[in-house]
Amino acid sequence: MAEKMDIDTSNGESKEEEKTGGPVAPAEMSTEKIISTNFALINQAVDSFDPRFTLRALRSIATLRKREDFAQALGAGIRQAFPKESNNARRVLEEMLPESVRQQQNGSAETNGKKDEVEVVEIAEVWAYLGVLVQVYLLDTASHQAGATFSLNLVSKLRSFNRRTMDPLSSKAYLYLSLFHENLAPLPPSPQSPVLTLRPTLLAALRSAVIRNDSDTQAAVTVLLLRNYISTADITQADLLVAQTQFPASAANNQVCRYLYYLGRIRAIQLAYTEAHSNLEAATRKSPTTGAAVGFYQQATKMLIVVELLMGDIPERATFRLPVLEKALAPYFKLVQAVRVGDLGGFVKCVEGNEGRFRGDGTYTLILRLRQNVIKTGVRMLSLSYSRISLRDICTRLSVESEESAEYITAKAIRDGVIPDSSLDHEKGDLLTHSGRDVYGSTEPSEAFHERIGALLGMRDECVRAMRYPGNRNREAGIEAMKARERERELVGEVLEAEDEEDEEMGGGMDGL
Amino acid sequence: MADKDLHQILSQLSSLSHHNLDKAPHLLSRAKLSLLHLNALVPSSQTSPQHLTLARRVLEIGALLSIRLKDTDAFTRYYQQLQPFYSSNQQHNAHKGEQSKVTGLYLLLLLSLGDYAEFHTQLEGLEVAYGGKKAIDEDVFIQYPVRLEQALMEGSYDKVWGETKGERVPSEEFGVFSEVLVKTIRIEIASCAERAYPSLPIASAKNLLFLDSEGAVIQFANHRQWLPRDGRIYFPQQEAEATMGEKDILVMSGQVIQNTLGYARELETIV
Repeated sequence: MAEKMDIDTSNGESKEEEKTGGPVAPAEMSTEKIISTNFALINQAVDSFDPRFTLRALRSIATLRKREDFAQALGAGIRQAFPKESNNARRVLEEMLPESVRQQQNGSAETNGKKDEVEVVEIAEVWAYLGVLVQVYLLDTASHQAGATFSLNLVSKLRSFNRRTMDPLSSKAYLYLSLFHENLAPLPPSPQSPVLTLRPTLLAALRSAVIRNDSDTQAAVTVLLLRNYISTADITQADLLVAQTQFPASAANNQVCRYLYYLGRIRAIQLAYTEAHSNLEAATRKSPTTGAAVGFYQQATKMLIVVELLMGDIPERATFRLPVLEKALAPYFKLVQAVRVGDLGGFVKCVEGNEGRFRGDGTYTLILRLRQNVIKTGVRMLSLSYSRISLRDICTRLSVESEESAEYITAKAIRDGVIPDSSLDHEKGDLLTHSGRDVYGSTEPSEAFHERIGALLGMRDECVRAMRYPGNRNREAGIEAMKARERERELVGEVLEAEDEEDEEMGGGMDGL
Repeated sequence: MADKDLHQILSQLSSLSHHNLDKAPHLLSRAKLSLLHLNALVPSSQTSPQHLTLARRVLEIGALLSIRLKDTDAFTRYYQQLQPFYSSNQQHNAHKGEQSKVTGLYLLLLLSLGDYAEFHTQLEGLEVAYGGKKAIDEDVFIQYPVRLEQALMEGSYDKVWGETKGERVPSEEFGVFSEVLVKTIRIEIASCAERAYPSLPIASAKNLLFLDSEGAVIQFANHRQWLPRDGRIYFPQQEAEATMGEKDILVMSGQVIQNTLGYARELETIV
């Protein structure tokens, strides 16, 4: 969907210039102007049944929020859309805004009169759009309780409308509804959090979205439900939701990213590390890496690193050097170093020191599982460096409590294949390593190659499927060119025939031209 | 009327000793019937707090007794029935003691079944339910299975053995699992030992496997098809593996051929 929007933005913008005749760049437009242009876009969306215009209107929310006169512009917009003050819809919206904004009637009437070349019809989508803007305003002013009640009313009204043009707006409304509830005390993960009361609403919304084939809302609400379940650690319920619903294939890219992230988290907790790894990798690849969304990229990368460690692989150092990730991943870098070397003491210190940050990221419980990985790596390092090492030394190096434990641990490591070609000498209490195993003589390189080749072939297939060819215009031009060539050929052929026939009939052949 | 019945049954249940445990299931079913009369078996917003507490006590006693009777299915059922009580909004803090015991037992059951995925899922949920890490750290009943799991994963089976012996066990009910756990680790140690040692003297085998006598060692060795000779045990598997080397090539070449044909097919396919 992102690609389509980029290609056709040029069409949308040219139409806008015709209508307003003013500068197109939003940075130069006043806040009120932006809101009224968005009304025009929404009208267009409803007329042409094309969701791209609504999405453009929604994209301007990010710029609108940061403006200082957002509240006033919002009030002016409401008055512009619903000129009759007694209108119930208008009253519902205005109640949420502060007093000062409501009374600016005289001032704004003049400014609106000049620039208002756009006709605004009182349609439900405009009301929904203004509702979403009010939600944003309430969120930014941190009035969560008011926001929560307002959002509940808003979404119940939106559900009663069964209009497809409303879909992008209603998915945004659900998002802010969820955000408000997450900020109400007691905060999750407490079991009394209001997030729990939200679940039946979200589930009902999911049902109606699926019935109405509303893929935007379906995707958004599924993601919100997963977020809800994970915040209170109800992993089984989240798993059941995933198993019993289908994520719409036509969802927007950012929803797909989020879905993959939450799915990866669930799988990581359930010890299905390979699956979690592929999900999280896809999430990091698809996510935007710049701008305001970089926070998501950081979060997804953190999860990815922890899952890689749990699988026994060491993440690449280059990831930690990316400028956007450097600061966020600093504690994880130390963690990786401790695991890589097999330093149990360093690992424990790192975990204790950064406990707060890890808990905030939701990776703390996963990191606790890394303890055995540290020990395994430690044993492997020792077996590689020493051909014969006493169990007592192993015991001290690995910071294990007793020699017996060291013996059992090394025996288990040998069985698990961490240190192949080793054996324990019980009487002398040593670990022996027999080197001389030729890796290239076995099939290990071929298996490693096989995996990589498989992955690359899969990627090649995906690329070929995703290729887009230039549009119809070129093809039509090509067809016309072909037709012109064919006509020329026919003409030439006829001329040649005419020359032949000239000998037989004078002038007769010319008629063919 | 049902109330008084319940109170009676409860006092009977708590006074049960080891000898007459078989009367327990009968008493429990009577208790559950009275709970049903009171509509308290499944908690809802209408049930009064006293009924809730009563129901909780009955179900908890049922859970603990079923552990003593070694009935794991019944225990799982009781645990599932207790879940709505534990997660409801009206927590009665006075009675928290039994909750951690029952939860700890359930975790231990999962461990002994080898269901690590469920174990970790439950553990995640626990931190939330208990409101913070401090409570879990200080809770003996929950720390026990957590410590065990850590030790099992690391492979320090002597720690596991130490935990299941004597004073480290928090209560009787946990002791029931000790046998099962020792059997599990014995199998694990045996399979590790097969690969790790070329041979072992029988005395050390006795210590390693936590067995009581050399006779038991020989019995165990025969069961696992090891070769006891001259006071040592030889592990045959390793020799068998050495001869596998030559056969490997034939097996692997089949694999290599399959892989290569796969690549050719993929490259030529029109997607």
